[in-house]
Amino acid sequence: MLIIDAKNVDFYYSDFHALKNINIEVEKNKVIALIGPSGCGKSTFLRLLNRMNDLIDGTRMTGSILVEGENIYAPNVRVDELRKKVGMVFQKPNPFPKTIFENVAYGLRVNGNTDNTFIEERVIESIKSAALWDEVKDKLNKSAFALSGGQQQRLCIARALAISPKVVLMDEPASALDPISTAKIEELIYELKKDYTIVIVTHNMQQASRVSDKTGYFYLGELVEFDDTTKIFTNPKEYSTQNYITGRFG
Amino acid sequence: MKRFLEKFVEGALLISGSVTSITILLIIIFLFKEATGLFNSPVVEEGYVLAMNKSNPVKKLNSYQIKHIFDADITNWDEVGGKEEPIEVVRLSDLTNYYTEEELGADFENIPAKASELTASRPGIILFLPEQYIAKNFDGTLLSKETMQPGDFFGGTEWYPTASPSPQYGLLPLLLGTLWVSLGAILLSLPFGIAVSVYLAEIASMRIRNILKPLVELLAGIPSVVYGFFGLVVIVPFLQETFKLPVGETALAGSIVLGIMALPTIITVAEDAMRTVPRAIKEASLALGATHWQTIYRVIIPYSKSGITSAAVLGIGRAIGETMAVLMVTGNAAVIPHTLLEPVRTIPATIAAELGEAPVGSGHYEALFALGCILFLITLVISISIEFIGRKKY
Amino acid sequence: MKTTKKQETNTNFGSSQFIPPVAGGVSGSSSSYSSKRWSQAIAFTIFKLMSYAVVAILVLILGFIVSKGFQVISWDFLTKSPEEGMTKGGIYPAIVGTLYLVLGSSLFSFPIGIMSGIYMNEYATGNKIAAFIRIMTNNLSAVPSVVFGLFGMALFVNVMGFGDSIIAGSLTLGLLSLPLVIRTTEESLKAIDFSYREGSLALGATKLQTIWKVIMPMAFPNIITGLILSIGRVSGETAPILFTVAAYFLPKLPTSIFDQVMALPYHLYVITTSGTNIEISRGIAYGTALVLIFIVLLVNVIATILRDYFSRKVKM
Repeated sequence: MLIIDAKNVDFYYSDFHALKNINIEVEKNKVIALIGPSGCGKSTFLRLLNRMNDLIDGTRMTGSILVEGENIYAPNVRVDELRKKVGMVFQKPNPFPKTIFENVAYGLRVNGNTDNTFIEERVIESIKSAALWDEVKDKLNKSAFALSGGQQQRLCIARALAISPKVVLMDEPASALDPISTAKIEELIYELKKDYTIVIVTHNMQQASRVSDKTGYFYLGELVEFDDTTKIFTNPKEYSTQNYITGRFG
Repeated sequence: MKRFLEKFVEGALLISGSVTSITILLIIIFLFKEATGLFNSPVVEEGYVLAMNKSNPVKKLNSYQIKHIFDADITNWDEVGGKEEPIEVVRLSDLTNYYTEEELGADFENIPAKASELTASRPGIILFLPEQYIAKNFDGTLLSKETMQPGDFFGGTEWYPTASPSPQYGLLPLLLGTLWVSLGAILLSLPFGIAVSVYLAEIASMRIRNILKPLVELLAGIPSVVYGFFGLVVIVPFLQETFKLPVGETALAGSIVLGIMALPTIITVAEDAMRTVPRAIKEASLALGATHWQTIYRVIIPYSKSGITSAAVLGIGRAIGETMAVLMVTGNAAVIPHTLLEPVRTIPATIAAELGEAPVGSGHYEALFALGCILFLITLVISISIEFIGRKKY
Repeated sequence: MKTTKKQETNTNFGSSQFIPPVAGGVSGSSSSYSSKRWSQAIAFTIFKLMSYAVVAILVLILGFIVSKGFQVISWDFLTKSPEEGMTKGGIYPAIVGTLYLVLGSSLFSFPIGIMSGIYMNEYATGNKIAAFIRIMTNNLSAVPSVVFGLFGMALFVNVMGFGDSIIAGSLTLGLLSLPLVIRTTEESLKAIDFSYREGSLALGATKLQTIWKVIMPMAFPNIITGLILSIGRVSGETAPILFTVAAYFLPKLPTSIFDQVMALPYHLYVITTSGTNIEISRGIAYGTALVLIFIVLLVNVIATILRDYFSRKVKM
């Protein structure tokens, strides 16, 4: 079964036609990379998958996006329930001004969990999943701001995992990090795909080729090509894709 | 030539820039100079003396004791550390109770002799006389010339600057009045201020915000006498009827008016603070399935709490320093208040109401400057604490 | 809970243990969902109502004074002196007095304030002098207006010997509005991109020429808006003029800057609290309050119009 199925998606920022007739099908437990030059619409598309663009005034979408077979833009959809199912990790680490523990517990608490034993278990598991446990186990009650940038980003991943999403969206999760932290995040993505479906936006071609199963190339609001990663990087069908991945522009 | 002009202009700009600093300095100098004069001013009215029988062991009385002796609240010398002996208060005008007008003389030329005689003959006497009527060989002890002590001002519980023979400059009723009114104001306006700032920063649409925001600014622009006038003709009668009070001019009326006046400050500062919450943090919360409201009270408000604290402190500062509106609606009774439904008098209102009547250089005048110093220090503490709160980051 | 899979990774980044998502999600009971919704709906409604309550207070104050005041306002009211112990006649001398005070304080605070603002933003950028001046300016803006009154009385009226006069009152009000003028100027200058300064300096202009010919013309719209708003504040201040200039009643207009004047806010204060007959004077009080409110509204409207006008001009 397809976990994400986007059909004929068009998206506008007031007058600007940002996405043009996008069709993408994503299978379970795969890592999908979205690449393309700045302003091509890849991040915009990502934010459509958990309706984050609802927050921006003057936007409009047509077409449909199905997550686990349900149209997430249907009128009766509960946006906060959707966002529990489709978690997100942002470009820059954005921990809350709370303790490490409370950052991860946040999603559980806002979703009505009051069972402290369960919350504690779940927080610890999530931090372990994010490969952060060894570094923070002694300072769970310290401020999240005391962590390094890379640690903060893994904390944000742990935070997203804690509410057991089906899909994790990552918007250039390593762009603000140093190479070692980046390598850790990539390692993590590779491991996470056993349990989650991951959609990652990146402008780093090597990263896309290292972590993803399938890659979509966006250009000027269109999905130029969407195929297996190995195919995209070795034998792209489109001339524009080839130009981009070989670094002739972008 | 060109370079000279550049230098000249820079110098002129520097001088302009220093005006505010110089003003602060001058305010401190003038306020404190006049205020410290208070502690050199005599306890007993200038030009007057208090005299007692030679046998009386009491040689010193503070201002509070003198007032209460003359108010007949203290009636025996043992209450002020003397012997068991009833106090007999005699003022200049009371001399006619002891002597006929002929005895005192047509031009009162015999007063010095008679005063001396009276003092010598009555063990419990305290005589209050102009200095000129004290004979060289006066037969009695003159109360030593005490000056106002800091304790009389800072610890004084009565503000009665025209009391005779010893005026009372007690800070406490005025300070407590100021604090009561300001505290009441902030308790009323903080919930509204925060609610409106959350509404403006997070909930209201752009269109509504564009209407509400100028209205809030307009609220800030209305002069304080207009608020006072409105309070006097609307709020005061309303309170009087609602609570069946003898007078509607109460601390509560002051609190309501000040609360309204503090609103724009609180709203603006708190809203600005909430607007500085990074979008990324809001999105992170929403992306975890939090509702907008959960995001507001779990993330946005905690994140902007130093800004909200600043807003509250600034609001208190505005309330404490406000003069005219309070003067017009609080009834101005200089007594230590017990409930919000009593008249009170604040420090700024006292200055505004009394400075016109206090002769320049008198103890009263200096006491009002001392009040000004207290007010200045309070606002200084507030601005420094705002700096401090503003610097505190996570 | 499903079992936790343990897995050693073959990198030296440390181990990570993997757990799958909890079956059925972490909560998802519909009762918690609807309570989330309800608390949001209730909270937002309360906030909305409280916001409208604040607007209602403003409308109440304005509506009350405007409706009562309009019955009093007439041409005579605006152009005649008070008569019969201020129970009849107009408020002309008070209007004129307030105008003089606004003018006098502006003559003092505008040049000094603008120059301080320029110094802080263009010359002492980021250094200790600027920080010091900023702290002092902030402190000055926090000083209660009645303390300005005390200070003005001690310095201008007594020590400098001006007596109760327009000049003493204007200087006191000028000092009071100085922080506002400085802050306005500084903010307006700060808003101008640094590249304009570099551009001008790169063409060989001196610093002064750059400020005078490039920066000030660009900052002018915002500065002027701030100055107009400061006029609104000055015209309504009472406490600073109580002991420095304001007269209870003067039948004639001032002839020099060493004369006393009547002023609108003080006039409103005395006829509401200590006039010869407060009840009869009430109508005049409403009229005076309306004139004061009108000045504030006028100042706000002019400032808004100017801001819009200039911002449209910049866009073209």
